[in-house]
Amino acid sequence: MCFKTLPVEFDDRGNATLRGGIPNPYDVTVAKPHLARSDVERREGIERLVARNGHIKDMNMDPVTRIAGALAVHVTADLEKGAYLDSHAQATLFRGYEVILMGRDPRDAIFVASRACGVCGGVHAHAAAYAIEQAMGICPPPLGTVVRNMTEAAEMGYDNPLHLYLLAGPDYSEAVIKSSNPELWPLAEKWSCVNEHIHGFKTMADLMTALNPLTGALYREGLEFTRLSREMVVLLTGKYPHPENVVPGGVSTTLTLQTLNEFHSRLGKIFDYAQRMMAVWDDIPAFFYEADDRYQFVGYRPTNHIDPGYWDDPYAYDATYENCNAWGEKRWSTPGVVIDGELVTTRLTDINIGWEEFVEHSYYDESSTSRYSHDMLGNPLSPYHPWNKRTLPKPGARDWKDKYTWACTPRWDRKVVEAGCYSRLLMTAMAQKLPASDFISATGTSMRLLVPKGEVGEREVEWRVPERWNAFERNRGRAYHYLFSQLVALESLLEAYKLMKQGEKRVAALDPSALEKAIPKDERVSVGWWGAGRGWLTHHLVMDKGKITNYQICTPSTINASPRDPWGQPGPYEEAVMNTPIIEDVSDPARFTSIDMLRAIRSFDPCMPCTTHVHTGEGEVVREVNTCSCGGD
Amino acid sequence: MADRQTRSPVREPRTPAQELLDELGPVTQFHDTSHLGAFGMPSGAMTEDMLSPVATASSPTRFGPLEKVHAFWFAGASCDGCSVAVTGASTPSLESLLLGAHPGLPRVVLHHPVLNVESGAHYLRPAEQAIAGELDAPYVVILEGSIMDELVANAAGGYWSSQGEEPWGPNGELRPVTATEWVARLAPNSAAMIAIGTCATWGGIPSAEGNPTGAMSLMDFLGKDYRSVLGVPVVNVPGCPPIGDNFNETVAAVLYFLQGFGPLPEFDELGRPAWLFGETVHRNCVRGAYYEEGSFAKEFGDPECLVEIGCWGPVVNCNITSRGAINHVGGCMNAGGACIGCTMPGFPDKFTPFYKRPPGSMASTTVSRMVGSVIRPLRKFSNNNLNREVRWDRQGATPSAFSREKSEPSALSHASHKFYDTLRRSSDTARNDADVWGKRDEAPSGGSPPSRA
Repeated sequence: MCFKTLPVEFDDRGNATLRGGIPNPYDVTVAKPHLARSDVERREGIERLVARNGHIKDMNMDPVTRIAGALAVHVTADLEKGAYLDSHAQATLFRGYEVILMGRDPRDAIFVASRACGVCGGVHAHAAAYAIEQAMGICPPPLGTVVRNMTEAAEMGYDNPLHLYLLAGPDYSEAVIKSSNPELWPLAEKWSCVNEHIHGFKTMADLMTALNPLTGALYREGLEFTRLSREMVVLLTGKYPHPENVVPGGVSTTLTLQTLNEFHSRLGKIFDYAQRMMAVWDDIPAFFYEADDRYQFVGYRPTNHIDPGYWDDPYAYDATYENCNAWGEKRWSTPGVVIDGELVTTRLTDINIGWEEFVEHSYYDESSTSRYSHDMLGNPLSPYHPWNKRTLPKPGARDWKDKYTWACTPRWDRKVVEAGCYSRLLMTAMAQKLPASDFISATGTSMRLLVPKGEVGEREVEWRVPERWNAFERNRGRAYHYLFSQLVALESLLEAYKLMKQGEKRVAALDPSALEKAIPKDERVSVGWWGAGRGWLTHHLVMDKGKITNYQICTPSTINASPRDPWGQPGPYEEAVMNTPIIEDVSDPARFTSIDMLRAIRSFDPCMPCTTHVHTGEGEVVREVNTCSCGGD
Repeated sequence: MADRQTRSPVREPRTPAQELLDELGPVTQFHDTSHLGAFGMPSGAMTEDMLSPVATASSPTRFGPLEKVHAFWFAGASCDGCSVAVTGASTPSLESLLLGAHPGLPRVVLHHPVLNVESGAHYLRPAEQAIAGELDAPYVVILEGSIMDELVANAAGGYWSSQGEEPWGPNGELRPVTATEWVARLAPNSAAMIAIGTCATWGGIPSAEGNPTGAMSLMDFLGKDYRSVLGVPVVNVPGCPPIGDNFNETVAAVLYFLQGFGPLPEFDELGRPAWLFGETVHRNCVRGAYYEEGSFAKEFGDPECLVEIGCWGPVVNCNITSRGAINHVGGCMNAGGACIGCTMPGFPDKFTPFYKRPPGSMASTTVSRMVGSVIRPLRKFSNNNLNREVRWDRQGATPSAFSREKSEPSALSHASHKFYDTLRRSSDTARNDADVWGKRDEAPSGGSPPSRA
């Protein structure tokens, strides 16, 4: 029984049904989470406080820099109490990619959807390919899946250091600490790094100096390693971001021993670096927790995570919805949902049918439909499910109580869940279902990872499920995810060698003319479950008469940047900011930098480009948008 | 709005940029920094000032007049892929430009939302100074992503894409400022307007058929008559994503020229760097010779020319096959990816549906198959001969122990090669009868036997 809010039950064979006797079971007033106070009441209270008190600051940080894309964060900060009373995350960009996909040939989805995000590179192209394959019923040959896994593992090798050193790292650098947290600097100078023998920095102050933007050794090394991993990706994809090799039914990469060796040789340089990265991001939390216990609560949220899994088993994956629970659980990274620290499911169907997206606080008109009451297996679907969603973009004025962002509000079982690459570690550790491996294993409460020997010797490291998810644990998790993903790259490379040894050459299921003939003419509904640098990624596709009739992208940063839901529950960024204590010295209010909020927000690795393209309409809707916008023109 | 997307820009009295500025009116007021305090300034300094100790560590080597250039990076309807591409570039690298470490070039002070340390209103201050004409050095504007038709969103009281707020609302209230508006306000006094990536150069995917935002390119937005203060029209570095090195090289080339030592960079009629986009991608394609020999890939993953599985390379201006994607690694066709024309003004709608051979390739592939059917066997014939040591020819045997044993040429083949050798050596000066006096008369023991002939 993984659902607590939605009235969904399971029979003996695990099939889901709606609890009987409830009229409008998905109505937002019927199935709702338990909440103490409505958000409107809370906001009104805060506005009264702001009006009365000089020490409460109501400010909007627009733009928040050192994240990918356009994000603004509004905060109400009580400088006397050292608390963020309120927060609103605003995605400030809409491009309408799904609208553009409407009515197109399904083959176009890969290259068009890829352009949803240029930070996450190939992930959208892959998710689109999985959606198309499920709709068309074509399954890539094993080598095709292995090449995809190698590509996408290598991509994480670029994504994680980019975030840790170029985007988040400066917040822990000498330059920022000396100015925002001067009280920490003398402590840092005295604090001997636990992992000096691995990363080489004697004191925390030395390490922080190496994090300085552009000039610091760690910053520069991180930038170089993003380049190395991108070289690995383009060996297979031709270019980065936006791969040129993803085709429906596989890849078009011409694979030779040279390709594998060049990939292998670059991968070989990464493992020593991964050891240094984990050592750095183990020492940073240790120092901060010791310096001030309140850092445990910077960016804190309850342990509610979701992930659809990543990197398929090339022999189990069959591109069907019917068998998705079986092949899903064989992924290197196990799909799952964790609520309040408990793993409640690892089934992709549960993840799918519990998914809803709301637009109460987003610049869209409401337009849920009941086009599909059930999925292909007969499980019930909400009118707010992506297959039923028909969201209509509508730019309008910003109002904290009403609409204030281009992101929408995805919820699972109407609960606020978080997505992250570190969520992969969490699911995989708890589920203990990952494939047998010499390098990766799960214990139920931790992941054990064996780092192969490089110039530094072989070493086993362990990532433990943190007691409290906060900014520091997200960053630590990302560093361990870097190693995890690179070990998946290694396992996939070894699989590619094995297949090549067996004489396997096929990388795609169909040739171009067979592909054209395979486009179905009836109505098909499908979903591509994949991952991005920040975790969760899904593309929901509906096609009919050989063309796309609905397309919905849900990205991890849509989940994390989501605004309030219909019940007033804040999105993960907002919740994390409101749980963050203001630790910086604000005895002089003019010195308030909001660094604690920035650390909280950046720990999610916000990636906004693809956050705001989740929104579609069918043909007539697009015209409606045009008309309404044109009216004032 | 359909009519806003299709009307002729040549006949319109005002450019879209002018229309927007007329609607929004002039601005005079900016953020009150005294009220702002340190909010969003965690290092207590602007990124420019943080880097100054390195960037201006000693008196710069004197190559030319410029010491510093500001670069404002704005993202319209963008995916940030161009920013990512630029962080991968190495000729010159982003860090060397920012740290003033590329000899001969001025220090580039980049205002980029992904890289800068300061956030919020502090981050916007240099752009405000540029609009007010108070910036301490010349500036260029770099646009990534398409320009969206913000007049339409503005009429509904909102925006498509905003970056920051300014007190430009009624009664000096803060209101979101769109990337489109920043670009329109900064363009008149900019030293150069540079569009990076296919969205900014030609509209790209956000402007594809069926788009709801009225997305367009920078040159569509600023109009035909736009000139920067240096007299330059919009510079376009296309690609989706562009090759990072193409962009950094273009910026560097312009600066080499302005510093007085570089040649005037040549731009084609669409504002592309001519030395980068003058050739089709096919001309430097690693698989181009397969086309010449009439050998074409049938399946995805095949090593031959990709034209019949959907490659548009022969008619697309791009240099990725010669330059690679990053650090000279990759390249679409190098890896097996068919060209979908992502550098072209016609992208994407003139190339869809993808994964389908361009109909126009039918004529040329038929011709190349015919030519190839003659050329390929001839080349194979010579290739076979060249795969033999001269010694093997003399001995009449190839001592290879690999399972695929080399077969010895037939008598006919042998005779043909003799004839070929005679042709080849017809002007060989080694046959002239001059006395060779620089060696001993007798060969060392076991030296070359006379040729078998």
